[in-house]
Amino acid sequence: MEILKAENLVKIYQDNGVPVNALMDINLTISKGEYVVIAGPSGSGKTTLLNLLGALDKPTKGKVYFETENITLKEKKELSKIRLHKLGFIFQAYNLIPVLTAIENIEFSMMLLGIPDKVRKEKALELMDELGIKELANKRPNEMSGGQQQRVAVARAIVNNPSLVLADEPTANLDSVTAGHLLDLMEQMNSEKNITFIFSSHDKQVIDRAKRLIILKDGRIENQ
Amino acid sequence: MLLKLAWRNIWRNKRRSFIVLISVVVGLAAIVLTDGLSNGMMSQMLFNQINLDVSHLQIHKNGFDRNKIVKNFIPDYKHVESTLQTNPEVEAYSKRVFATGILSSASNSSGVIIYGINPDEESKVSIVKSSIINGKYLGSGKREIIIGKKLAEKLGVEVGDKIVAMSNTLKGDIGSDAFRIIGIFQTSSSGFDKMTVYVQALTEQEMLGIGDNYHEFAVIAKDYTKINLVKNNVETKLGSDYEVFTYRDLLPMLIYQMELYKESMMILNVIIGLALIFGIINTMLMSVFERIREFGVLMAIGMKNSRLYLMIIFEAFILGIFGTFVGLICGLLLDIPLAHSGINLSIFATGLESFGVGAVIYPVLSIGNLINAVLFMPFVAVIGALYPAYKAIKLEPIYAINYV
Ligand SMILES: Nc1ncnc2c1ncn2[C@@H]1O[C@H](COP(=O)(O)OP(=O)(O)OP(=O)(O)O)[C@@H](O)[C@H]1O
Ligand SMILES: [Mg+2]
Repeated sequence: MEILKAENLVKIYQDNGVPVNALMDINLTISKGEYVVIAGPSGSGKTTLLNLLGALDKPTKGKVYFETENITLKEKKELSKIRLHKLGFIFQAYNLIPVLTAIENIEFSMMLLGIPDKVRKEKALELMDELGIKELANKRPNEMSGGQQQRVAVARAIVNNPSLVLADEPTANLDSVTAGHLLDLMEQMNSEKNITFIFSSHDKQVIDRAKRLIILKDGRIENQ
Repeated sequence: MLLKLAWRNIWRNKRRSFIVLISVVVGLAAIVLTDGLSNGMMSQMLFNQINLDVSHLQIHKNGFDRNKIVKNFIPDYKHVESTLQTNPEVEAYSKRVFATGILSSASNSSGVIIYGINPDEESKVSIVKSSIINGKYLGSGKREIIIGKKLAEKLGVEVGDKIVAMSNTLKGDIGSDAFRIIGIFQTSSSGFDKMTVYVQALTEQEMLGIGDNYHEFAVIAKDYTKINLVKNNVETKLGSDYEVFTYRDLLPMLIYQMELYKESMMILNVIIGLALIFGIINTMLMSVFERIREFGVLMAIGMKNSRLYLMIIFEAFILGIFGTFVGLICGLLLDIPLAHSGINLSIFATGLESFGVGAVIYPVLSIGNLINAVLFMPFVAVIGALYPAYKAIKLEPIYAINYV
């Protein structure tokens, strides 16, 4: 079953009036439960593509279908609803909310869904236990290592049972051992919960472990 | 949780929150203080006038106020007296004989208002008795006079000296009498002290040849805010032969001045509020710009704009509430001791005295204004956050996340 489909995606940035062709005619279909890595040299358009797929940005041309719905034309409000219910994001710089503890960061998106306090806590703890980060529950982001923060970020991304998680270079700031653990974790979530993962990465380890690899170059897909 | 987040965000940049807090505190304390001071000054001005000779309510023969001549005495003062005695709102009254005249000493003379009073009655409606600084208040003795300090200086007289008073009589000739000064008073109004003297009613009635009649009733009500009730009651009972004036009718300039002053205080408060709003806009904007990236993440997670907006407003609101609370306490801590001891403005006292205010101002807090200020401040803080919050939700999530 297809979960995501990109049709003739084009993204042209304006850089001080100079057009930059970041993506040129991307066509892509991703099925439910896939574990996809988007690789390619710096500047090839990986981040741009992920942003378009996650509806964080709008394409210059073309369409993105999420669960057969065209999300390119949707309003901000509807998009935030889709993101809340169906999507998870993991960022290179972790981007946890600094004033909230690990467990509160995980609870936050559940709070946005209106899940009651108690259920929220239980579920967050359960997930943290599963990811082996239970002991971090009451730590603030600045009290955790990068790897720990990224695990919390993974927990935050998957806690609302999204159908798709988008991760832009999630391991870029981690050493290879820590990165390995994180990959184990995401593979586990992928196979156990059937969550679709799309990564972008430079990292050889990530690329080697990809179940499907898409290589971008100069804004075009090179393989497939 | 949104509240929790807002609360923690406040504590994240302590110095900045402190600045907002301080400005709210200072703003509120300033409002409480200026309000207390202006209220105090206003009511002092008013009560000074009331306590000098205006009283709460005056009754005359119709036409007296426009033409204060001897023959305009009250036609039936006993009728007025019984009317006042049956009115439960009346606390006290004083019957007065009124004449304008000239007071002469050996060295000088001066135009004055001569009040003929029954000393005990008068002492219940005015402060003259307690304003005696030399000698004593009028008693039962005839041909005794008390005069103001300023007048005594002008005439070059002291307690014990003799002085001659002259005035038109009912018949139209000049009546005169010699008096012994038995007391000198000083009030908060130098003008009053220069212009006003008191003698026994009986003596003045003889001098003017008006029998046992009076020109004026000065009435003090139990509650001066209900003075219009008394006025209406007395007016209907006495009919059109009499004129009845409240202090508001008698002091139109002062009342006008008070209203003007109140309005200018309101404007001052609004200015303080505006300054605060801009201060808060500025700091909230800074705090929003510092967190653009975070807002981007919140948006990416799926936080609705309306919630984000609410969160920022909450932050300002909490600061506002907190500041109000502290500001109120600071304002009151400053105000309450001052309300007892007064603020000594004797450097400006000469100016103030000609206004009819004493040199020491006692701040008076009006609960109504206080409640307004308390409601006003958090509101001001929220207004200051509206624009920064709007800026925050206008961000595109992707721009926000990549913002450095
Ligand atoms: N906001 C922007 N304004 C202008 N040009 C942009 C903007 N964002 C990206 N670009 C350009 O678009 C192209 C693709 O950028 P993108 O960030 O998608 O590459 P990437 O593959 O993620 O690179 P990296 O591996 O360095 O993260 C680059 O040439 C980049 O300079
Ligand atoms: Mg990138």
